[in-house]
Amino acid sequence: MLSIKDLKASIEDGTQILKGINLEVKPGEVHAIMGPNGSGKSTLSKVIAGHPAYKVDGGSVELDGKNLLEMEINERANSGLFISTQYPTEIPGVNNVEFLKMALNSKRAYLGLPEIGDEEFKKFCEEKMQLLEMDERYRERGVNDGMSGGEKKRNEILQMAILDPKVSFLDETDSGLDIDALRIVANGINHIMSPEKAVILVTHYQRLLDYIKPTYVHVLRHGKIILSGGPELALKLEEQGYDWIEE
Amino acid sequence: MDAVTRIQQIGMPRRNNELWTFFPVAKIPNVLSADGDCRVANAPRNDKQESLDFSKENDFAALLPLAKNARTMVKAIPEGANEMAMLKCNDDFGHTVLDIGKGAHVSLEILDNKVQHEIVAERFDISVGEGADVEIFFANPASALPLRFRHFRITQAANSTVRFSNILTDSGIGRISMDCDLNGEGASFDYRSLSILDNTASMHQRLTIRHNAPNTVSTQLARNLLSGSAYASYDGMVIVGEKCTKVNSGQLVNTILLSENASVSVKPVLKIYHDDVECTHGNTVGELDAEQMFYLVSRGIPKEAAKKMLMASFAKETFYPLPETPAKKRLLQTLSV
Repeated sequence: MLSIKDLKASIEDGTQILKGINLEVKPGEVHAIMGPNGSGKSTLSKVIAGHPAYKVDGGSVELDGKNLLEMEINERANSGLFISTQYPTEIPGVNNVEFLKMALNSKRAYLGLPEIGDEEFKKFCEEKMQLLEMDERYRERGVNDGMSGGEKKRNEILQMAILDPKVSFLDETDSGLDIDALRIVANGINHIMSPEKAVILVTHYQRLLDYIKPTYVHVLRHGKIILSGGPELALKLEEQGYDWIEE
Repeated sequence: MDAVTRIQQIGMPRRNNELWTFFPVAKIPNVLSADGDCRVANAPRNDKQESLDFSKENDFAALLPLAKNARTMVKAIPEGANEMAMLKCNDDFGHTVLDIGKGAHVSLEILDNKVQHEIVAERFDISVGEGADVEIFFANPASALPLRFRHFRITQAANSTVRFSNILTDSGIGRISMDCDLNGEGASFDYRSLSILDNTASMHQRLTIRHNAPNTVSTQLARNLLSGSAYASYDGMVIVGEKCTKVNSGQLVNTILLSENASVSVKPVLKIYHDDVECTHGNTVGELDAEQMFYLVSRGIPKEAAKKMLMASFAKETFYPLPETPAKKRLLQTLSV
């Protein structure tokens, strides 16, 4: 499904952040990526999405055999990639619902499907909002505009639910969430997840993984995945930190 | 003193005149030339003009309609009236005098005149009575007039409110000039302007707001979306008088340059003669926000569509703070097309 091979990327001043990432994600899998601050976790998500601040120095990222790195940013999304960043961008003035509808119709156009109409979208959106226990205020607001950290994260998962991606890369989706919001968001992700899809979670804490059971846990440090294991690895990291791992 | 005599005194606009610093003055036909002067001098006066004294008027654009013998339309809106009106000038040169009574609620849309001549100039003298609430707005379709002047002189009594909003999309050269006098305590003036310019369009705004009474408020927000070789300028002066305590005044100009050749000039001038006031000014110039673009595109929206969404959001935000009145509805409708 998603195949990342020897991915290297740097920022504008030439500093290399990703130094050869290898990751194979198959349908139905949940991968958790953990690691100390500054290890390259957020960079990985942005490089895969095509953020212009990063330069790919080498390697490949394939989704169902298609090289994402050769695609435009919107094509990557429409091919089935969804990236939720740690700090979702606020866009005052762009209505949340209009944005969601535009994004969905862009994907449908890419897939050769007809546009979804207003009424049909309204029902579809309501259903997804109920799943995430979101109230009507989200409809009227600008994209992430004036939302708390938790509200933004919930809004990100709403987008994920509506766009129905094959692979979702969720960067610290649990940050800024209180206990109830964490449960709601995690339930939402589990509901969206299916045997045909995959999720990559970036997190610092076991608490999210109590709700979303990972298939694999990886440790990213200094731009490389230095250790991979099962769910028990996350528990060990929670107890002992990262210092015991030899690179 | 009549307008013709005053124009002859002050002469044609020059770039070294601070009212015309950014304006392409060479594009203004010389009304003081033999031909122009003759037409001006021989023009019959209409009665309304005879009673006006222009000896202290320094802005050429304010004088031009009257020097060109504009017809004067006088309208009095009675005390306490609730009125919606549309104003439209049928000639190249127009003069409107509005006397708005105490406590009146007025919504006034200014429509374009349909003439397509070399130069069009309009002047509006608006007196706003105590406690009146007035909105003045225009959002006309893109005009191809080569040169257009619109001058407003607004005087406000105590506790009156004026909201002045416009969308400017001219493809020629345009200038909005405004002299607003907040004469009564508690008066407030709100100016919102959005310029969406392309090609060689050139749009200039020159405002002078005089706080002549305590507890008066003025806000100015001008936003520019400039493409091609378009040029916009904003010259905003705020004057706070000596005994005018607790004045609050803010001026903000935001510009997004969508091409390398587009440009903007901004000149804030604050003349404050009292200590206990709050006056701010700001100016931002940039491109569309790269992070916002990335966010939209990363959700599958094509780059051009994302750009349009961001431009529309920048434009609409200009008018979101307005109350839910016909002006807001009309301005936002115009931007939704």
